[in-house]
Amino acid sequence: MPAIEVSNLQRAFSAGVLAVAGIDLRVDAGEIYAFLGPNGAGKTTTVRMLTTLLRPTGGSATVAGHDVVAEPAAVRAAIGVALQEAALDPLMTGRELIRMQATLHGIPRAEGQRRADDLLRRVGLVEAGDRRVGTYSGGMKRRLDLASALVHEPRVLFLDEPTTGLDPVSRKSIWEEVEALNREGTTVFLTTQYLEEADQLADRVGIISAGRIVAEGTPAALKAEVGKPRMELVLAAGERGDCVEVLSRFGDPLPPRDGTLMIEVAAGSAAIAPVVRALDEAGITVESLDVVEPTLDDVFVAKTGHHLEGDEASEPGTGEAEAVSG
Amino acid sequence: MDIALATDWATIRALVRRSANELIRVPGAAVPGVLAPTIFFLGLTAVFGNLTLLPGFTTGSYASFMVPVSMLQGAGFTGAAMGVNLARDIELGLFDRFLASPAPRWVLLTGLVLSAAIRSFIPATFVFLIALAVGAHLPGPGGLIVTYLCVVGTATIAACWSATIALRFKTQSAAPLMQTVMLALVLCTTAYAPQELLTGWLATAAEYNPFTQVVDAARQGFVGGVTWEGTWPAFAVIAALTALLGALALRGMRRTAY
Amino acid sequence: MKGSVAVVAELGRRSIRQTFRRPQLIAPLLVIPTLLLAVQAAGAGRAIDLPGFPPVESFFDFLLAGAMLQSALLAGNSGGIALAIDIEMGFTDRLLAAPIPRFAIVAGRLAGTAAMGAVTAVWFLAIGLIFGVRIEEGLLGALLMIALVTLAALSFGTLGAALALRSGSASVVQGTFPLVFVILFLSTAFFPADLLLEPARTIARFNPLSFIAEAVRDPVISVFSARELLEGLAGIVLVGAAGLALCSLALRRRLRLG
Repeated sequence: MPAIEVSNLQRAFSAGVLAVAGIDLRVDAGEIYAFLGPNGAGKTTTVRMLTTLLRPTGGSATVAGHDVVAEPAAVRAAIGVALQEAALDPLMTGRELIRMQATLHGIPRAEGQRRADDLLRRVGLVEAGDRRVGTYSGGMKRRLDLASALVHEPRVLFLDEPTTGLDPVSRKSIWEEVEALNREGTTVFLTTQYLEEADQLADRVGIISAGRIVAEGTPAALKAEVGKPRMELVLAAGERGDCVEVLSRFGDPLPPRDGTLMIEVAAGSAAIAPVVRALDEAGITVESLDVVEPTLDDVFVAKTGHHLEGDEASEPGTGEAEAVSG
Repeated sequence: MDIALATDWATIRALVRRSANELIRVPGAAVPGVLAPTIFFLGLTAVFGNLTLLPGFTTGSYASFMVPVSMLQGAGFTGAAMGVNLARDIELGLFDRFLASPAPRWVLLTGLVLSAAIRSFIPATFVFLIALAVGAHLPGPGGLIVTYLCVVGTATIAACWSATIALRFKTQSAAPLMQTVMLALVLCTTAYAPQELLTGWLATAAEYNPFTQVVDAARQGFVGGVTWEGTWPAFAVIAALTALLGALALRGMRRTAY
Repeated sequence: MKGSVAVVAELGRRSIRQTFRRPQLIAPLLVIPTLLLAVQAAGAGRAIDLPGFPPVESFFDFLLAGAMLQSALLAGNSGGIALAIDIEMGFTDRLLAAPIPRFAIVAGRLAGTAAMGAVTAVWFLAIGLIFGVRIEEGLLGALLMIALVTLAALSFGTLGAALALRSGSASVVQGTFPLVFVILFLSTAFFPADLLLEPARTIARFNPLSFIAEAVRDPVISVFSARELLEGLAGIVLVGAAGLALCSLALRRRLRLG
C-alpha cells in the first residue's frame, strides 16, 4: 500500500487562481519524498491538503490508506505534521508542548510524560525542555516542532520547509534526524526550496512549478535526464583561437557563459588529463578548468526555464532566468 | 469513563491549561479585562445614580441595579478576548497544530469556551467586590448562584460568537466586531433601567432581545427576591444561544479544516 | 517660518491621509460612542423627569455633546497611538534627523487628530438631525459645535501625543483607552452636575471637560451664551497648553536620551 497516493489534486482560490493545478503522485511506505520548488509554486498548499488543513477543490488523495476528505480523522491519527516557520506558543515550555501534543493524540498522561522525555533527549533539548519556547533559537524551535510531530509515532511525517532560514549547522542536525527516522521506517514527505536538501535527503524528488509537477524521479535519474557532466574552462586573456576546435574533439560544445567555455564530457573527470594535454599542444593556456556534474538546478532550468535558488522573491515565469540560461 | 471520552476530557483540560498560561505567565494580562467593566460600573453608577429617584425602580441603590450588568459585560469581554486569542493563534499558524490532530472539533471548541467560562469569574468577582465596597446589596446564596450561572453563560455565548468570527475572518482586526456585538447584546436590554422606564426604540428592542431575560435573572438577587419564573427563561436563552452560536463556530472550524 | 508651515502641512496631509485610508481606525471612534449614545439616550431617557434636570426636549439632545466629546477623546487617544507607531517604526527618527523644527512632528500628527475630530462632529450632527434633534441656534450653532469639537480633539490630541513621545510604545498609549471613560464619567458630558453622585459631582465641577461639554451642548439646548462659550474655550486652551508643555518635555527627554 502506498503511503501517499494523489490523483489530479487541485486547489483553486477565489478569482479562479489554481494554486495547485492537478498533481499526481505516489509515495511508497518507507520513502523520503521531496517536493522541490520556489515560493508560491504550490508546495504548502499541497501539504495543507494532504494534512487535512485545506479542502481540495478537485481530485483525490489518500494518506496512510485513508481518503483526506472522507476520513480526515483517520488521516490525522496516522500523520505527524511540522509546518512552515514552526509556529509554537512562546508561553509554553518545550516539555509542555510535547505533552499537550501527546494529549491531542489520546496518549495517556504517564506515557506522554515518558515520550516527552525520550523525544527531548532525541532532539537534544533536555536542558532547554523546561524553558519557555519564547527563549528558543530558530533551530531549537524546529527541533522541538519535529519532536512534537513524532509523539504518536506517526507512519507518515509531513515537513513543510523544515530548514528554511536555519544556519548550516542546525540544518545538518535536522537532516540527520530525518534520515534516522526514515531508517526506523517512517515515510517522510518534505517540501523544500533548497536543492541540496532534496539531493541529500530524498529517495525521490518531485519538482513543482506553478502548481504542477514538471519532473519526478530519483535525484540521479533526474540529473541524468538533463545531460552528461560538462567541462567548464576559463582561458587566459585573448586565448580563444583554435580552442573550440580542440575542445570539440572531446565532446559537444555548449553555449559559453560569462567567458566560460563549456563542453559536454561523457567521461566526466577522466577527460581532464587528455583535454589539458591537447590544449597544451595547441599552445593554449588554461586559467581554470572544472568538471561539473549536472545538478537539480540544471533539471529545474531544463524543466521550467529558470533557476530555483536566488530566484525566490520573483514569481515563477519572470524573465531573470532566461537571461542567464540563454 | 469511556476511553474516548477520557481522551476528549484530557484534551479539553490541556486546552484550558494552555489558555491559563496567558494569565499566569504574562504579568498584568488580567488587568484590561477587569478594568473595563469596573470603570463602567463605577462611572455609570456615579452618573446615573439618581435615576433610582424615578418611580419604577425596586431598589434605591443604582449600584445594586448596575452591578449584575457590569458582571455580564465583563464576561462578554472575556469571551470576546478568547476569540481574539483564537484569531491570533490562527494568524500565527498555532491553531494548525490542533486542527491537524485527531481531536474531535467539538472538543477543540469546548476547550476554548470552557477557558472563557472559567476566566469570566475574574472580572465578575472583581466588579462584585468593588460593588459591595461602594454599598451594593449583598444577594443571598441563591441569587448569587443565579448571577454567576448567568455570567458563565454569557462568557460561553460570547466565546462561541467570537470563535465564529475568528474562524471566519482569521484576523485579530475582527476584534471590534466580536466586542461591539457582545456589548450591544448586553446593553440593548434593561441594563440602564427597568423595562417600564425605557423610552423610544430601546423599549421595543429590550422587550424582544432575548438577553434581557439574562440581565433580569442575574439582577434578581441584587434588587429583590429570586424566583424560578424569573430564572428559567434566562437559562433557556443561554442554552438556545449557546446551541446556535456553538453550531456556527463548529461549522466555521469544519470550514477551516473540515 | 514659511518652510515650517510647508513641513507641517506635508506631515499633516500624511496623517490625515493615513486616518482616512484606514477605516478600521476611525470606525471604533464612531461606533462605540454611537452605540452608547443610542442606548443611554433611550435607557436613561426618563432622566429628564428628574427634579433639577435642565429643561431639554429629550435626553438625546442633552447627550449629543457628550457623544461628540467621547469621540474627540478617542480621536486624541488614537492619534497618540499613530504617533507611537511612527516612533516604533523609526519614522519619527527620520523626521528628527531632518532639518525641520521639532514641533512640526507633533503639529503634523495633530492635524490628523483634528480632522478626525471634525469628522466625528459632523457624524453626530447628522445622527442628531436624523433623530429629530433641533439645534436652537440653527446653522451657526451647528458650525460652532463642529469648530469646538475639532479644537477639543486637537487639545486632547496633545495629551495623546505627549504620552506617545514619553513612552514610545503604541500598546502603552492604547492602554490608556479606559482613562477616556474615567474622564467622561467624571464630567457633565452625560449628566448635569447637580444630579451626579458624589464624588463625581465635585470632580465634575472642576473637570475642564465639563466646561467644554457645556459649551458644545449650549447651541443645542438653549440660546447662545458667551459665558459658556468662553469657559469652553478656556477649557480647551488649558488642556491644550498642558498637553503641549508635556509634549515639549517628553520630546526634550527623548532627544537627550537618544
